[in-house]
Amino acid sequence: MKGQGSPLRQIPLLAAAHLRHEWVLTLCLVIALAAVISPLLVLLGLKHGTIQTLRERLVEDPVFREIRPTQTREFSPEWFDGLAAWPGVGFLTPTILPLSSVITVALPQGTSLFDLIPTAPGDPLILENGGVVPGDGEVVLTAEAARLAGVATGGEITARVTRSRGGRSEAVEAKLKVAAVLESRAGSLPRVYAPLPFVLDVEGYKEGYAAPGRGWPGETPQPYPSFDGAVLLLPDPLPPIVRSGLIINTGFGRIADVKPGRVRELLGFEPPEGFAAYDLLTPGSPVTASSLRAIDAKLRGYSRALLPYAEGVVLKAGEGELRPVGLSPSAEEAAMLGLAQPPWPAFSGWLPESGALVDSLWPAGAAGNVNGTAVDVRAPGVKELDFLLRPAGTTTLERPVVPVELLGVLRTAAQRGVTFDRQTLTFRMARGGYRGFRLYAASIDDVPAIYHRLKDQGVEVAAEVEAIERIRVLDQGLSRLFWLIAALGLCGGTGVLVASLYAAVERRRRDLGVLRLLGFARRHVFFFPVAQGLIIAVLGLAAGFGGYAVLAGAINRAFAMDLAPGEAFCILPGTYVPLFCLSTVALAGLASLVAAWRATCIDPAEVIREQ
Amino acid sequence: MVRLEGLVKTRSQGDSVFELRVPVFEVGPGRMVAVVGESGCGKSTLLDILALVMAPTSVDRFEIAAHPPAPPADAAAMWARGDEGGLAALRREFFGYVLQTGGLLPFLTVRRNIELPGSINGGSVPPGRIDALARGMGLEGCLDRMPSSLSIGQRQRAAILRALAHGPHLVLADEPTAAVDKARARVILDDMHRLAREESAAVVVVTHDTDLVMELADAAYTFDLEAVSAGMTRSVCRPVHGGAS
Repeated sequence: MKGQGSPLRQIPLLAAAHLRHEWVLTLCLVIALAAVISPLLVLLGLKHGTIQTLRERLVEDPVFREIRPTQTREFSPEWFDGLAAWPGVGFLTPTILPLSSVITVALPQGTSLFDLIPTAPGDPLILENGGVVPGDGEVVLTAEAARLAGVATGGEITARVTRSRGGRSEAVEAKLKVAAVLESRAGSLPRVYAPLPFVLDVEGYKEGYAAPGRGWPGETPQPYPSFDGAVLLLPDPLPPIVRSGLIINTGFGRIADVKPGRVRELLGFEPPEGFAAYDLLTPGSPVTASSLRAIDAKLRGYSRALLPYAEGVVLKAGEGELRPVGLSPSAEEAAMLGLAQPPWPAFSGWLPESGALVDSLWPAGAAGNVNGTAVDVRAPGVKELDFLLRPAGTTTLERPVVPVELLGVLRTAAQRGVTFDRQTLTFRMARGGYRGFRLYAASIDDVPAIYHRLKDQGVEVAAEVEAIERIRVLDQGLSRLFWLIAALGLCGGTGVLVASLYAAVERRRRDLGVLRLLGFARRHVFFFPVAQGLIIAVLGLAAGFGGYAVLAGAINRAFAMDLAPGEAFCILPGTYVPLFCLSTVALAGLASLVAAWRATCIDPAEVIREQ
Repeated sequence: MVRLEGLVKTRSQGDSVFELRVPVFEVGPGRMVAVVGESGCGKSTLLDILALVMAPTSVDRFEIAAHPPAPPADAAAMWARGDEGGLAALRREFFGYVLQTGGLLPFLTVRRNIELPGSINGGSVPPGRIDALARGMGLEGCLDRMPSSLSIGQRQRAAILRALAHGPHLVLADEPTAAVDKARARVILDDMHRLAREESAAVVVVTHDTDLVMELADAAYTFDLEAVSAGMTRSVCRPVHGGAS
């Protein structure tokens, strides 16, 4: 038996010939299918195009990716490190207090206050609004700022930073090159974007500190010493009224007699015989230099020694531990107490300079520490503090002696981050943290997750979550609508196909019987309606897509006014097209099954003699 | 070519039963066999059974010798095991069929109609053969027209062409002359007879036009009808002696 596949190969040709012969009926069927397919495609295109246009508008404007803090609180550098590693975070920079982030900019007439906002490489607000991220000495201006200052890209502005210190007003000026002017979309307020280090220097200057790199004068952010208490030693006891007066308006809250043993524990020596010793305390808060000055003032005329102390400072030197005492007595105090005058200045409230803060006297017995080389030590604290002690002589006391200010600084370091600079032998306050941030998600879809995660952390933030959510809800609604209409359309289209194919089989019973007689088996004629269904589906799809193209073109032209170039209201997503075609053809195949089954039931003996 | 023995086919319609019995039926290559009889005597039933589109109720032997040296195909066994595909394959390979009204497919040109049995058979009719045959039948101008534009006589001859073009071993013709006048009928039957001889095909012609066919047929079969009971008719097929040869 040759040519087993041959009858099957003839079926599509015969089916096509039949459709061509009855071309009017075929045309009607194709039009009916196209009338279902075209509107569905237009609807799908409208849904996709609208959503995409809305989304692209959001995506285009970085504002919709921004997540802003709505409260001012401190964020530690570690917190920033953690946040930067979150998935979906596109850009993050710390910001400073809003009050500190204002600079005075010279205008053609007079001056004006502009917001100063930190930026960093990758800032989408700048990059997506036609700007370039400014380098050191450069700024980017908003359109309004540029207009007010009367400058353009490449120009220069003069920024004045002012502060008031000790009742005097001070100011510094900086010439800043305008690296770019942003599009007006970036914001209507006059704003100056500058690199974070510049903004931090401005903040520091406003708080009274110097910015040596810019030649701005001021203090260095030295850690202030703080103490647990002060020991007051007098040759004679105080009258009770004077004694009580010491805790009135001095900042101290308690005064107590203290035994010589305790004095030894705190200061490393015992007071001379017959001396009265008092412990001055400020329960709940540290002793500050001003409290000590207040006591000094109250005891003017008395012969006395007032020695602040910080308890329990333990240093690690190699494997061993050091428990230094802090003593910075004045010459009179030292003489009265019979102590050797240390080489560092007496306690004044200011930290000893030129490295005297880390001078140290070592017990004579502790040989090896006196040979003049610095001793590396570590102190516990918020962050472990590595510094050195510079030997400056020997002491008769049993414990190493250091300026009391050093112990005060180390006590502060237990609460605030402090760093040590080995070059200048000074301590500096580590930056505590930042007061805010500028955060942009990588895409608008990442915004809700980051927004909610920050809220869960207790960080109050605001974002255009609603706008994003609204599009998502619209998308869902339109999808549901599309499926509803698609279901109706599919029912109609399938029904038309089922009926037509079935009717064709009934109409062509005799011809199908003749085909059987000519040698087609049941399984061959089965494919006659199937082939017809598929051919009609393909023709219907072609006509449907043609109709869609015409309609979509008309819609897009009609809305062209409201759309940016490249935007379209009606656009089909590329991935949907093959899916749509495939499902249409599959459905047509399914719809032909009834007719196909009917065709196999035809008994040639019954039908071939029909007229 | 075809040998049929002990065939019984029972058909019931309502409460009446019709039984066809064929003790023996045979047709050989190059021969034309006529099956004649009144309406309702079972001529078409016999033809449908021969055409393998109607299952026999019972049959002792039903063989189709397609390739003479090889053993004949056992159609009885194929029916018994329901080998519909095998029967269809036999039909397209060895059979040609002429229907009462031609039975051309209206949606194909006459040429495509004539080519169809060859192409579904996997082979193709040699080029020129169809034109040559058409010339012999006076159909040369009709090949590329649709069947509906042909006269009934032309259609009938086109149908005969279709039945013969692919070189079948057995041609079955069901009342090929019913729709034409006497003169045309003679031409048609003449053509069939001539072609059967030339192609050495076996031809079975079913007709009620006894006079005409008896002149041309090599053998003939007819039916004896008897009423067995009130609701049952029996028809027995027997050879007619005194045919043309």
